[in-house]
Amino acid sequence: MNLLYKLPSSQEGKIHLSDGEKIYYNVPIDIDEKGNWTEDSFLVVTTFKVHVLREDKITSYDIKDLDSASSEPGVGGGLLTVSINGEDQILAHYSSKHLSRFAYIARGINILISGRFEEVESSEYERICPKCGRVIPGTGICPKCSGNGGFYHILKGFIKPYRKDFFAVFILMVAVAVVTLLNPEVQKRLINDVLQKDGKVSIAMAFVGVMFFLSVSIVLINIAKSIATAKLGSKISADLRKQLFEKYQKLPLSFINDRRPGELLNRITEDTRFISEFIADIFCNLFAVFFIFIWDMIFMLILDWKLALLTISVVPIAGFLMLSLRKTISRIFHVQNRKNDDVASDLQDVISGMRIVKSYGKEYDEAERFKVLSGEFAKVQMRNERFWGLFDFVMSFFMGMGLVIVVFFGGRAVLGNTMSAGELYQFISYTLLLFQYVGWLGRLPREVSRLKSSLERIYDVLAQKVEEESPDVIDMKIKGEITFDHATFGYKSYQPVLENINAVIRPGEMIGIVGASGTGKSTLINLLMRLYETDDGSILVDGHDMKDISKKSYHSQLGVVLQETFLFSGTIIDNIRFSKRDATIAEIIKAAKLANAHEFISKLPDGYNTYVGEKGYTLSGGERQRIAIARAILTDPKILILDEATASLDTESEFMIQKALDRLTSGKTTFAIAHRLSTLKNADRLMVIDGHRIAEIGTHSELLEKKGIYYGLYTAQMK
Amino acid sequence: MSENVLNIYEKKAEEMTSTNIITGKDKFTKTSGGFLSLDCNGKHYRRVRIVRLFPFSDAQRYLSVRDHGDSDKEIGIIEDLNSMSEEIQSLINEQLNLSYFTPVISKIYEIKDEYGYAYFRVMTDKGECRFAINMGSNAVTKLSDTRLIIKDVDENRFEIKDVDKLSKKERRMLDLFL
Repeated sequence: MNLLYKLPSSQEGKIHLSDGEKIYYNVPIDIDEKGNWTEDSFLVVTTFKVHVLREDKITSYDIKDLDSASSEPGVGGGLLTVSINGEDQILAHYSSKHLSRFAYIARGINILISGRFEEVESSEYERICPKCGRVIPGTGICPKCSGNGGFYHILKGFIKPYRKDFFAVFILMVAVAVVTLLNPEVQKRLINDVLQKDGKVSIAMAFVGVMFFLSVSIVLINIAKSIATAKLGSKISADLRKQLFEKYQKLPLSFINDRRPGELLNRITEDTRFISEFIADIFCNLFAVFFIFIWDMIFMLILDWKLALLTISVVPIAGFLMLSLRKTISRIFHVQNRKNDDVASDLQDVISGMRIVKSYGKEYDEAERFKVLSGEFAKVQMRNERFWGLFDFVMSFFMGMGLVIVVFFGGRAVLGNTMSAGELYQFISYTLLLFQYVGWLGRLPREVSRLKSSLERIYDVLAQKVEEESPDVIDMKIKGEITFDHATFGYKSYQPVLENINAVIRPGEMIGIVGASGTGKSTLINLLMRLYETDDGSILVDGHDMKDISKKSYHSQLGVVLQETFLFSGTIIDNIRFSKRDATIAEIIKAAKLANAHEFISKLPDGYNTYVGEKGYTLSGGERQRIAIARAILTDPKILILDEATASLDTESEFMIQKALDRLTSGKTTFAIAHRLSTLKNADRLMVIDGHRIAEIGTHSELLEKKGIYYGLYTAQMK
Repeated sequence: MSENVLNIYEKKAEEMTSTNIITGKDKFTKTSGGFLSLDCNGKHYRRVRIVRLFPFSDAQRYLSVRDHGDSDKEIGIIEDLNSMSEEIQSLINEQLNLSYFTPVISKIYEIKDEYGYAYFRVMTDKGECRFAINMGSNAVTKLSDTRLIIKDVDENRFEIKDVDKLSKKERRMLDLFL
C-alpha cells in the first residue's frame, strides 16, 4: 500500500524542508472540512512536522509538540487525530478508502514522536488499481494493467495444458462440417442428373448409397466428437476443482472469512461444472458451426447470388435483434437468479430456525412473508417466460419469412428455367441449415458471458497470492517456552484487537486466560495456532521466531480443543485419529480414556465405529467435546490450547476431565480460556486481557492481593 | 470486604439497566480540537462521542452520547435531536457528519460491469464520485422497497433515498442490483 504519494505540481512548492529533514509519508485526504469529496488535499509527514495541505491553505504541527496520534475508524470513514497537551485535535477526515492507510500513518507519526526514525511499511495490497481504476482481486498487481488478466489471457491459460485434446476436437469438427455440407450437393445431383433425366435405378441406388454413407459418417463423427469433448470437459473441470481445493487450503483464513461459504462452495461445484458443460455443449460445436455457416453462405452465393443475398439479408436483422436483446436477456436472468436466491435463503433461514419459529408461534407470519417473496419470484419468472416466448416467436417468424422468400423467388427461377429443381432443393437445404445455426449462434453470447463470469470467479481464487513458507524454516523439537514480544494484531489493519502484548511463558506452565468477551482472548489463541500472523512484534517459541519454525513441525506438537467442537463426517475413530494418522488403536483408546470419552463410546452400539458428523449419530455437546479433547491429546503435544474446552460439560464430567487434564497438562505449556474461574484453579498464572492488552498477569493469590479486575471477577463468581 | 465487591456489581447492574435522557439543560461545548465536551449531572466529560442507535430507520432520534476513552460508557440518550435548540443541533450534526460518512446518491451517470465488479459514476450530496462494488457479495442492502445502501469495495457506504425518484434510465442501470 502506497504511503508516499506524489504531490500535484500545484502543491509541490508549499513544503519547505530544513537540513536533514525528509518527507516520510504523504497521503491524500479525500474529504474536505465541510464534509465534501475533495481531490487535492494531502497529509504530509516529515521528520519534524506534520502538514495538512488544503486547496489554498496549509496547517503545520511540530512533531515535538504532539503527545500521540491515532486513527479513529468511524462509519464509512475515519478521523486522524493528534493529542496536544491532552487535547484531542482533528487533523483529517477521510473515507473508508483510506482507513488502512491512515492507520499506518498514525503508527508512523507515533514512532517519530517516540524519537525513533524507522519508516512504517505496509505489505497490504491496494484495492483499486491507481492506473486504471479497476478493482484488483487480492493480488499485488492489477491483472488488466499488467496485461495478464484479460478474458482471453485467462482462457488461454486454462486451455494451454490441453492443447492436444483441443486440436483433436478441432479436426473432428472440421470433418463434421465438411460432411454436413456435402449432403445437399449429393441430393442436388440425384434430382438433376437422375430423377429428372430418367436415370437408371442402379445409379439412383448408388446416390442413395452415398447419401446413406454420408449420414452414417455424420453420426459416427459426431459420436466421436461428443466422447472427445465430454472427456476433455470433465478432465478440465476435475483439474480446476483440484486446483481450487488446494488453493482454498492454502489461502489465509481472512480470504475465506471475507466470502460467503456458499459462494466458495459454488466456485468448486457450479463454476467448474459449467465449464465442463460449456466445452461439451458449446465449444464442441463452435468451430463446426462457424465453418458450416461460412461455407453455407458461399455455396448459396455460388448457386444464385441474388437469391442468396436476399436470404442472407434476414440474418443481420435477426443478428441485430439478438444483440440488442442480449443485454435485456442477461439482465432479466440476473434479476431472476437474485430473486431465486432470496427465496432459497429465506427458506433455509426459516427451516433452520424452525424451533424458534414454532416456540414463538410465528408459523403464520413466516408463511405470509414467504408467500410475498415467492410471489415476487413467480412474477419475475412469468415476465421472463413471456419474454422468451415472444423472443422465440419473433425468431421463427423471421426464419419462416426467409424460407417463403426462397421458395417464391426460387420457384419462379425454376419455372423460368434459370435454375434447376435440384439446385432449388439444394438451396432450400442450405437455407434451413443457415437458419438452424442462426438460432444456435444467438445462444452463444449468453453462454460465453456465463463462461466468462465462471472463469473470472475461478481466476479470482487461483490468482490470489499465497505467502509461501520461506525455505529457511526449521523443524524443531519444542520445549514449550513462549515469549510474546510487543505482539500486535488486528483482523483489519486499522482496528487492532491485541496491542503490545508482552509476556514470557515458561515451558510446562499452565496459563489461564480470562477477560470479558470480545477483548481478544480467542485472537491471542488464533495467533498461537498460527492461523494469523502478528502485524507488529513477534511471538517466540524457545527463543525462535514462530515464523522461522516450519508449520508442519509446529502444528504436530500442538494440541487444540476449541469452544465449537467440529467433528468431520466419519467414525469416532477417524475423528480422533485426525490429529495423528498413524496412531495405534492402543493410543486411541488411551487418549479417549484420558478425555473421559471411553466410557460413553463403549456404550454406543457401534462403539468406536459409530458414524458421526452431519448425517451420523447425534452426539451431545459434552460428548463431542470429549472426542475433541481425545483428538487434541493423541499427539502428546508440547503446547496445549484449551478454548473453553470443558464449557459444554456437566459439572461432574468437567471435574473428571479436569482431573485427567491435570495429569496431562503437566510438562506441557498450556493456555486455557475459561469463563468459569474454577476451571482455572490449577493454572500456574492467570492472564487478564482487557482493552486489547494484558491488564494483569500473575498467580491467583498475587492477583487477589492486587484487587483489580481478577479480584472482582473472582469474588463475583464465588459468592 | 467481598460484600463491597458485590455491592459494586449491584451498582453496575443498576447503571447498566438505567437510561439517562439528555435534555437542553446539559451543556455541550465545542473543544478547540474540533470535538464536543459535555457537562451533565454535575460531571464534566472532556470528549464525547455521538452514536446513532438506529442509523437507518431513525437517524436523528435516539442518539447515544458516550464518554470517549477506554470505558466508552454511555452518558445518556438524546431522544429527539430535532426538539433540541438550534445551537445543539448544529453542534451535534457536525459531530455526526464526522463519524458517519454516507454520501446520498442523487444522480447515476454510469454503471459499468466488468469482471464481477460494477463501477459507478454518480453525483452525491458530497459531490461527484466514482466507486466500485463487488457483484458477488451482498453489496446492496435494501432498507425498504425503495431505499438502498450500497457498500463499495472499500466499505464506503452510499445511500439512495428513493429509487422511484430516479429516472427510468437510471433505474434500468440499477435493476441489476435490485
